[in-house]
Amino acid sequence: MNQTIHRIGMINPVTDDEAARLARPETLDDLGWQISATPVTPGPRRGRSRARILTGRDARRRLLLGVPMAAALGIAVAVAIVGRPASTPPAGTPQALSFTTNAGGGITVIVRDPLADPAVYRAEFATHHLDITLLLRPVSPSLVGTVFYMSGPSTGPQIVPITAKGKCEVPSGGNDCPVGVKIPAGFRGQAEVDFGRAARPGEKYVSTGSAFARGEAMHGMNIKGETVAQVLSQLRARHLTVADFNKVESSGDENVRQVPGGWYVYDAVPWAPGQVMLFVGATATEPSTAAPQPAQGAPAPSPTG
Amino acid sequence: MAAGDERQGRFEALYEAHHGPVLGYVLRRTENPEDAADVMAETFLTSWRRLEEVPPGPEARLWLYGVARRVLANHHRGQRRRSALADRLRGELAVGYRPPEYTGEMARIAAAFRRLPAEQRELLALNAWEGLDYGQIAVVLGCSRNAVRIRLHRARQRFARELDGHQPGLTLSLNSPTNGANA
Repeated sequence: MNQTIHRIGMINPVTDDEAARLARPETLDDLGWQISATPVTPGPRRGRSRARILTGRDARRRLLLGVPMAAALGIAVAVAIVGRPASTPPAGTPQALSFTTNAGGGITVIVRDPLADPAVYRAEFATHHLDITLLLRPVSPSLVGTVFYMSGPSTGPQIVPITAKGKCEVPSGGNDCPVGVKIPAGFRGQAEVDFGRAARPGEKYVSTGSAFARGEAMHGMNIKGETVAQVLSQLRARHLTVADFNKVESSGDENVRQVPGGWYVYDAVPWAPGQVMLFVGATATEPSTAAPQPAQGAPAPSPTG
Repeated sequence: MAAGDERQGRFEALYEAHHGPVLGYVLRRTENPEDAADVMAETFLTSWRRLEEVPPGPEARLWLYGVARRVLANHHRGQRRRSALADRLRGELAVGYRPPEYTGEMARIAAAFRRLPAEQRELLALNAWEGLDYGQIAVVLGCSRNAVRIRLHRARQRFARELDGHQPGLTLSLNSPTNGANA
């Protein structure tokens, strides 16, 4: 177990066994019995959200994305909400988003200011009674121009991105790019849509594709079976640096800043512009990592009574 | 056996096997044990209503953690719902449980942990407190195993920074000797 996990284990407030002993068995049994005596008809599922993390090929395949970061950042978000009228912004007020009512009663929302504070987007969505968060976040090159994260209600109609060909060029290839999202009639609840944008120098990626994908820093490199020294040499030729090493051991991963050059590289991930992170270990074959044992934590808390 | 009895039996087995881990999961993430009782009740109420979606075997625990996580998130957003089902449990937990207060090194660790973004706290807690491996965490969070691994790396880095109270300033000089590669 690595040191971080060990330390956090030390502050484990209560173990499962301790938790189960905090209530009388008959109380816990009674709760289970009462629950199973309730009607099965589902109640309203307000507030629950479903989140999807979308990465790499999976994201492109399922979402056909590659936002037209129209000229890097000009995002068009088409929001179709049948039956909800759009309000007219006050004349002369600069808008980060523009809302247009469609013939079918939906609303098309265009991002006018792609560099606006997300709070501004939220406020403008809120004026249309929409609880939608729109974020532009730094991602590795192969994810630039994609929607890499979406969340929404667990039930009911879901937001679906819409795409258009030729609206942009995605670093990883292709030109089928999202022009926004559709929110179908009956959509209720909260939603978040995260668009990937190019990172600024020194800015860490919040989501990454494969380091070897087209457009990524290590595209075309082969590190299979290579030592740290050999990979560093390859990286140097590309003017890349290693931000950090992830040491892989059977007892768990650990962050390390210095490793022997004779160790082996198992994998690499993009970290920031010009930087990658390497998964490394002492053996030629990557060890399988076991789950840590649940921590016992602090001594059992004493009752307050 | 009637379908209703079969359903009831399946729920009872689920509850019996997992009420301890779920109560532990919730208590570890709430300051107020009364909230823990409500979240526990709502989590199992959800599992009762959506019993057909609960995976069999050990994955059921991960599914329950995922539900509890969402219920907790709603509580933290202020969408608290007092459940009459939880009245007795709420009373017993209020009397019997008080989150530990740490001193010295453990207080320093706890403070650094609290300063982490919620997403990173959850990743580290699932690993350290629930003892889940990367694949299991991926099931709870609904993302890939590789994404968990990368995010855990970032979380460990951030935790170390919070604990040390300074930026690590990691830069790798590729001109340095590679038999002791610096990062």
